[in-house]
Amino acid sequence: MADEEENPTFEEENEEIGGGAEGGQSKRKRVFSKELRCMMYGFGDDQNLYTESVDIEDLVIELITKMTRKAKSIGGSHGRVQVKDIIFLIRKEPRKFARVKDLLTMNDDLKHARKAFDEANYGS
Amino acid sequence: MDKARPWLPDLGPDLGVSREAPGMSLGPESSDPGRILPRDTAQEAREASDEEGGESARQDCPQPRAGEETDSSSRPPVAKRRKVDTEGKRGRQREVNEEEAQEMRTLVAAMSQEQLNRYQVFRSSAFPKATIKRLIQAVAGTPVSQNVVIAMSGMAKVFVGEVVEEALDMCEKWGEKPPLQPKHLREAVRRLRKKGQMPSSKHKILF
Repeated sequence: MADEEENPTFEEENEEIGGGAEGGQSKRKRVFSKELRCMMYGFGDDQNLYTESVDIEDLVIELITKMTRKAKSIGGSHGRVQVKDIIFLIRKEPRKFARVKDLLTMNDDLKHARKAFDEANYGS
Repeated sequence: MDKARPWLPDLGPDLGVSREAPGMSLGPESSDPGRILPRDTAQEAREASDEEGGESARQDCPQPRAGEETDSSSRPPVAKRRKVDTEGKRGRQREVNEEEAQEMRTLVAAMSQEQLNRYQVFRSSAFPKATIKRLIQAVAGTPVSQNVVIAMSGMAKVFVGEVVEEALDMCEKWGEKPPLQPKHLREAVRRLRKKGQMPSSKHKILF
């Protein structure tokens, strides 16, 4: 995979955590088994047989690493991974875009609410 | 408590909202520090009508919310009037959310026990933020902000949903039963790749 060779130092850290190159799948520790099992049940799968379909965890890690790399390579932010870059990258995928927008909006609202709450507390 | 989160059906304390969605859908409360608790639905409807010019509606807010009785007379009318425009848009948005919330409540009330279980797990399941943050920082090489982690976790969950849904479609199409097998997943991934919904290889800078 030519596009994986760009940051060799980061590859090592990736393998220890379990992300990155598609070649080393058998060596990776399963970082997401509990959560993935719950999530797949929530999405409609059956309860028990996750251990056979562990491919999903590799897909998730691939998604995260590829998104991070793409976001990093966007020229405007000088190698930093920023939210606006992520949002730009998923602009064409309606579900992801809508979900990320909702999450960030709610987080923002919550922060405002907390700030108002604290101000009120200080006032009284 | 259910009025505080109109978008969340009232299913009890263990719905795990804290991980699934970072909070309540409140409006810009910073404009009114006297109001500690989020507005209830009646007040939201009044906010929405404010946009149409009913300023007096704000003056006579009759129901005292829990613990906040003092603000109905001490509110400065002029400041409020000036803020009506921006809050009007949010008020409309919240009205729409309130309708959606009502729909969700109806839907949830009609669910069977097994559906309820599944829905509960669906809402509360999430990727651990610490692990995601570690992974992103390992790839990026620089520390990332909290919002990036929130965005990435949410995106990963949607992605899992897309794959699982497609795989369930494949499973059903081939006439087989739910516990998903790797072949379903692989076929689902192949289809999503064709639709362009899989993470593709990054574009190399050519020049």
